[in-house]
Amino acid sequence: MAPKSSSPAASNVVHSLWKAYSDQTSDRLKFIDAFLVFLMLSGVAQFLYCILITDYPFNAFLAGFSSNVGQFVLTASLRSQVNPENKNEFKEVSPERAFADFALGSIVLHFFVYNFLG
Amino acid sequence: MLSLHIVALLIAGAQAAVLTLQSPRFTVTSSTGAQLRSEPISLARPASIPVTLEKDDVLKVTFQVIEKGASKGVQPHQTFLRFYDKKSGEEGIQPIRVTNGGKAKFELNMAKPPLSLPPTSDAPLQVTLLIGSPLHSPLSVALFDLVVPASQPAPVHPDEASFHPLPEIHHTFRPEQKLPPKPISAIFSVLVLSPWVVLLGLWAQTAPRVPHLLSPSILPFIGTLGAFQGLLVWYWADLKLGQVLTYGAVLGLVTIFTGKQALSKIGDQRVGRK
Repeated sequence: MAPKSSSPAASNVVHSLWKAYSDQTSDRLKFIDAFLVFLMLSGVAQFLYCILITDYPFNAFLAGFSSNVGQFVLTASLRSQVNPENKNEFKEVSPERAFADFALGSIVLHFFVYNFLG
Repeated sequence: MLSLHIVALLIAGAQAAVLTLQSPRFTVTSSTGAQLRSEPISLARPASIPVTLEKDDVLKVTFQVIEKGASKGVQPHQTFLRFYDKKSGEEGIQPIRVTNGGKAKFELNMAKPPLSLPPTSDAPLQVTLLIGSPLHSPLSVALFDLVVPASQPAPVHPDEASFHPLPEIHHTFRPEQKLPPKPISAIFSVLVLSPWVVLLGLWAQTAPRVPHLLSPSILPFIGTLGAFQGLLVWYWADLKLGQVLTYGAVLGLVTIFTGKQALSKIGDQRVGRK
């Protein structure tokens, strides 16, 4: 996963960063991170298609791309709220409350996305 | 009283004296003053040769209105010259001033034609003298035919160009958008779907254990969330907005209860574990 770098020092830094992430991040957060990566890749692919080929079913592009962006924002906020290290910042927000917010936000987002699909 | 008046008028009309013209005459002079034509007018029939006026010529018509059988002049109430173009149907009425003694003189200067002269066509103007008087029977005398120089074309109104049908409007539309060729669509379909492989691969490595997922307190919440997604797919495929809002409201109530139950159970477990 770590990109190959020509400089050994830079390679070393990236390697240690990756190692620290693998070791110190819980599986639950990695699970969420995987979803974030997926959303980002999917959004980039759709955006490339819109720019390079055609935006012809523009509503479909809007629906797909905005669902990626919106879901990314919701998931990122879920991740920051359930991260145990951020406990002091979100004292009154329990992880359950965060997940309930995430579920409600996702349902509303998906409703609008399906409206755009046409 | 009224009927008596009408009767009196009728009697007066029956006994009305007839007016006639004495020594009617027309003269055409050029702008230099040379007399081109001067003829007496015959009341019985109009002049056989039309009177022709060139540019800057002056036409003079003189006569005296008298009662037939008497030599005393009469001043009628109304005296008009009527210029009538038989072809175009246009006519112009020019009032003539008559003196107390019944003498009248009319001058038509073609250098400064009166407004009452109708626009010319290729037919001559018929000139008629009309005399009206309450004490006499009306008189209408065809004097002569008059040929005048062609009038100037009517001035063009500055907005005249706006009062014509405009050219037909042809709407132009953007050309129909086309789907890209099939191979490109296929390549990008694979490209757009490929993140799913990444997602599933990463999840396979990092999937956290979910020991309570199928417990009776949590499963309903997961089920209702799944039902929401199913409802939205159904909305995309078939449902109308009102239907999906109704079903969604019902499903939302259920979800609130199941979610509260499931999340409070999880919360209790989390707190108890600590």
